[in-house]
Amino acid sequence: MGELLQYVITGLAIGMVYSLIALCFVVVWKSSGVANLALGQLVFVSSWFAYEMLYQRGLPEWLGLIMVILFALILGWLIERIVLRPLIAQPILSLITVTLGLGYFLQGLAGIIWSQSLVPFQLFPEQPLHIGSAIIKPQELWAALISLLLFGLLSLYFRYNKMGIAMRATADDQKAVQACGIPVTRIFSRSWMFSCVLAAVAGVLISSIAGSVGNSLIPTGLQAFSVVILGGLDSFLGAIIAGPIIGLAEIVGSGYLTSLTWPGIREVVPFIIIILVMFVKPYGLFGEERIERI
Amino acid sequence: MDLPAGTRNYSYSEDTTIFRTKTQKVLLTMLVLVLLTAPLWFGNYWLSVANLIGITIISVTGLNLLTGYCGQLSIGHAGFMAVGAYTSAFLTQRFGIPFPFALISSGLLAGAVGMIFGIPSLRVKGFYLAISTIAAQFIIIWIIQHWTPVTGGFSGLDVEPASILGFVFKTQTSKFYLILVIAAAAIYAAKNIARSRVGRAFVAIRDNDLAAEVMGINLFRYKLAAFFIGCFYAGIAGSLIAHTGATISDAHFPFMDSVLFIGMIIIGGAGTTIGPIFGVLFIRLLDVTVTKLSPALQSAFPHLPPGFTSGIAPLLFGLAIILFLIFEPRGMAHRWQLFKSSYRLWPFSY
Repeated sequence: MGELLQYVITGLAIGMVYSLIALCFVVVWKSSGVANLALGQLVFVSSWFAYEMLYQRGLPEWLGLIMVILFALILGWLIERIVLRPLIAQPILSLITVTLGLGYFLQGLAGIIWSQSLVPFQLFPEQPLHIGSAIIKPQELWAALISLLLFGLLSLYFRYNKMGIAMRATADDQKAVQACGIPVTRIFSRSWMFSCVLAAVAGVLISSIAGSVGNSLIPTGLQAFSVVILGGLDSFLGAIIAGPIIGLAEIVGSGYLTSLTWPGIREVVPFIIIILVMFVKPYGLFGEERIERI
Repeated sequence: MDLPAGTRNYSYSEDTTIFRTKTQKVLLTMLVLVLLTAPLWFGNYWLSVANLIGITIISVTGLNLLTGYCGQLSIGHAGFMAVGAYTSAFLTQRFGIPFPFALISSGLLAGAVGMIFGIPSLRVKGFYLAISTIAAQFIIIWIIQHWTPVTGGFSGLDVEPASILGFVFKTQTSKFYLILVIAAAAIYAAKNIARSRVGRAFVAIRDNDLAAEVMGINLFRYKLAAFFIGCFYAGIAGSLIAHTGATISDAHFPFMDSVLFIGMIIIGGAGTTIGPIFGVLFIRLLDVTVTKLSPALQSAFPHLPPGFTSGIAPLLFGLAIILFLIFEPRGMAHRWQLFKSSYRLWPFSY
């Protein structure tokens, strides 16, 4: 029983971070219809930047994290302006491929600047809390809290802020929005900046849970796609709910399945879930099923 | 603009000829001569590069049929290649099945696995399919890493060199000819699939699958056929990788290779027969250049960061994909077409 409780707590914390990564996909997908497959690399690059700021430069934590957020904002702006602006209204194949190329590019760039393969990374004090027989690491608690806070802020933003409402409108109908005089390109740019900030926060959180920054962050970004698929591509709520489900499935599943199958099943559980969802309910729990016409 | 001015087709057989004019035939003969005599002036290193290029061309040609013609994005092609490689290695090592049969059966099994992961393509497309093929890649590699009795786990398998009727392809030269023949056959088959009824159905599905269905194209059949053909090619390529290198392991089929294959199609020109060849040549030669140059650059400019040698290649690949998509989305094949037509019209520009 204590084992299960432990799995549930870790799974929920990891799942929250997955939700953040999934949200960073959904924000871009909803506003501009670009499927960003470079999530893993965005998480990867911003984690390395956080490492650089906190460990190499020795900045205090609050300043370092502000620098990370600034870096993410600039990165998002640059990506939208340089890479995706010229490709507006191109076929989906090009849009997917360009993010793959972008991912490759970012990975190479990070490899050039930070050539170590694995470095320790710790952000929060190391004093485990005890609930019954389970041990909660403080970084997991922080991760869950920060994620919840961000979900709350984002939903408020999309509900009450003028720009947020404009972004939702863009997701609904780009042409109508343009006709109303809302600058669509600025919305795209804004959504990429948001997305990169979410990726950066998720990167910092997941690195501090893992205790290190390394190459395994890229597959983590890919695993987060299971959240996107399960929740439905265009649903914020879906991403928020599916994240903990995937996290639980991953941790609990691997905890009990490893002895039945092979080690390392934790890494493939999300991918197996993707395939299952594809077969059963391809548009996810909350995704809008598009009915196409000719 | 496929034919030079003044050339007319008067019969069906003329219309279906691939190499139509005298210039084309002369150029083809020269190319064949160059390729056949290549081992004479290539060193062993360049021969191994050429072999890798040939194998990649086979795989990417298959991916081009699937993605370029049929529009079904697959980002798991390295995984399907791994299926072919391990099938072939397992069959020849464990059961002593001759290489040609192992080659075909690795293609068939890879095709079957591809079809399984292609089933979601009937209900979803675009991004969903990309994700499900990524999942395929990771699941396949995970199975390979852990199903030790069959795949040898992380340490991989030792593979005997290919042999046909007692002739063993041991040297780089003999491997080169083996790969050359199979690659030529693969390209020829792809060209003919693309202009047959099946290929036209693929193009119709790519351009608008609803319209294609309304016109009477059986989506279920043709999408799965595309997956089967594309992954069949990947399986053949994987089998060749296994039998031309001495060992295989999961590290031969990384996820980044799958991405790179998509990049090769884009750079070469999706939906053309010649595109994959251009794309593979471009990326592989870029790779060779970078591998050769970057240590020299590193020692010449000591203030370059230490990760320069390992990071510069992915950086350039990514940059190439992005730049091609922005500035030449139809790839090098389109440039080649433009070059040909301007050559034919010269000295009059139109």
